[in-house]
Amino acid sequence: MTAVSAELLPTRVGKVQVRRGGTGSPLVYLHSAMGEGEGLALFDALAGSFALVAPVFPGFGESEGIEQIDDMEDATFHLLDVLDTLGLDAPAVVGTSLGGWMAAELATRYPDRVGRLVLVNPAGLYIQGAEIKDIFGRGPDEMAEDLFADQSQPMAVMMKAFAQMDQADVTFEMVAPQYQMLAAVARLGWDPYLHDPKLRKRLHRVTAPTLVVRGAQDTLIPAAHAETYVSEIPGARLETVEGAAHLLPIEKPAELAALVGSFCA
Amino acid sequence: MRFFSFHLMPYPALPQDYDGPAWVTCPNAFFDPAVGTQVYNRYIDELVAAEDLGFDGVCVNEHHQNAYGIMPSPNLIASILARLTSRVRIAVVGNALPLYDPPTRVAEEFAMIDNISGGRLIAGFVVGGGPEYYSFSINPAHARERFQEAHDVIMKAWTEDGPSEFIGRHYRLRFVNTWPKPVQKPHPEVWIPGAGSLETMEFVARHHYAYMGIPYFHIDVFDRQFRLFREACEKEGYTYDPAQAGWLTPIYVAETDEQARREFEEHWWYFVKRLLPGIDIQPPGYTTLRSIENIMKGRGTFALNLDTWEQTVEGQYAIVGSPETVYEQLEANLTRLGTGNLLGLFQLGTLPADATRRNLELFAREVMPRLRQRFPEGQPMLARSAA
Repeated sequence: MTAVSAELLPTRVGKVQVRRGGTGSPLVYLHSAMGEGEGLALFDALAGSFALVAPVFPGFGESEGIEQIDDMEDATFHLLDVLDTLGLDAPAVVGTSLGGWMAAELATRYPDRVGRLVLVNPAGLYIQGAEIKDIFGRGPDEMAEDLFADQSQPMAVMMKAFAQMDQADVTFEMVAPQYQMLAAVARLGWDPYLHDPKLRKRLHRVTAPTLVVRGAQDTLIPAAHAETYVSEIPGARLETVEGAAHLLPIEKPAELAALVGSFCA
Repeated sequence: MRFFSFHLMPYPALPQDYDGPAWVTCPNAFFDPAVGTQVYNRYIDELVAAEDLGFDGVCVNEHHQNAYGIMPSPNLIASILARLTSRVRIAVVGNALPLYDPPTRVAEEFAMIDNISGGRLIAGFVVGGGPEYYSFSINPAHARERFQEAHDVIMKAWTEDGPSEFIGRHYRLRFVNTWPKPVQKPHPEVWIPGAGSLETMEFVARHHYAYMGIPYFHIDVFDRQFRLFREACEKEGYTYDPAQAGWLTPIYVAETDEQARREFEEHWWYFVKRLLPGIDIQPPGYTTLRSIENIMKGRGTFALNLDTWEQTVEGQYAIVGSPETVYEQLEANLTRLGTGNLLGLFQLGTLPADATRRNLELFAREVMPRLRQRFPEGQPMLARSAA
């Protein structure tokens, strides 16, 4: 197992946390609205074959500067700055959900900055009749049903336990990180809701070989989204992972690492 | 002390078997226009009656897509009141500025009401409740910024001669030149309601506006809020004027304590258990982390958590009883809170017209004159130790 450690990187918007580990060809991982990264088994697996770089988006963890980011366009340009600072010319980019959307924005605007593209349960599109379920107004117990295929996952258990707590026992320290993360996501995806109306018509510009990975039990983002990415991005193909819902990187780290490993090698 | 009669205009006829939220997703199939026609006119009458009963003013407010208060446009009601009354101040508490685009709309409508009423408008500005950000799909992460900017647009429209330009982050107006302008100069009195957000208190203190405490918390929460507001004024280098603070509370007066509870309690529970659920939804980014911390200090005591009448009485969530009881409780609280405006909710939930009328009359006859004598306008309110 290769150690993954975090460092603070100065950027235009402030200091941004970046998790790094392993050696090999560079691979950038962009996290979802849940901010996964701390102690993620997927990272250890990826760091076995790649030079893993996982920037933490402003508003998450210790990353600063969210007040200077208004929308997904700003977020994409922030990501570009991070890549420049790290000297990453055209790394493989893997993004989950919100991170997948960000990766797709980067790959349509600057196709030559993405060597390989892996979108895991990506957000970013609006498909009538197959809308992304609400993440801003629902309780953690309901959310857990969409995020995990296996409700005995420790995180699912924790979310359900939290929902059952007496309101009076909920402390500021318990809610603060979650509130900050969702506030950051709201800046990018409150309206339009988790999508960019212009993204779909730009997907043909992606030049990187593209793999779309979908959790077979993902009920947050319907299958039509992954299918649309595959049909609009030239040469893209789809892999479906059984036994995983929306938070596939947490539920099936070994399977995802294997798919990414063979696709980006 | 100035006395105001505040009306929420609740929807009193939710189906018995509905136990979901009254906000955002409460099905509008429940809305019966026959009920609407009846209650709108009745509620307007109740506000107009306040003038004859000797109140100083009336208050209306803005909420959207809910059964708690069916007044999405308080300006419509206020313009009717401007025409049907001749003396009382008309406080619109307030317009949710980030929902108006461009916000010059607020400058125009408020100026119309001020003109029609001959200069009796109190202009309330609010950020809008959490539910409004769901109902309007307006980004809550931009709420505070939009509010500040909209406020600046309105003040520019009111206090400077146009045409002029306003180019901000959220509003870009090449021609600010609103007709009409308000009667009151430099602008109408401004009230800002708040539920504990520190940014709101600091904003109010900085501009020397008035801070209205939003109700349905334990009385101790108000104590803390108004203390924080007074401190915010001190930080701006001045001592607050009691006229800069208002306490909003449900009030019900009957002949005796027993009768008051008997007549009021079921309507109180309709309000607490049927109309409040959903009001507390906090959209992400709507307020800063430090304000979340402050708001959470009062959260466990929000009226939604009430289950018994004894809890209601203990926390003084509503001031209910004989004229003597109501006087004593109001006197004690006003002394403690130091607010120079008392905003009473005399109708709540399903409280019917006849009970509302008797409540208003008894309050105006038996309680208000004693409080006026106890708290002459323009005098300091707080006991020396509390100040």
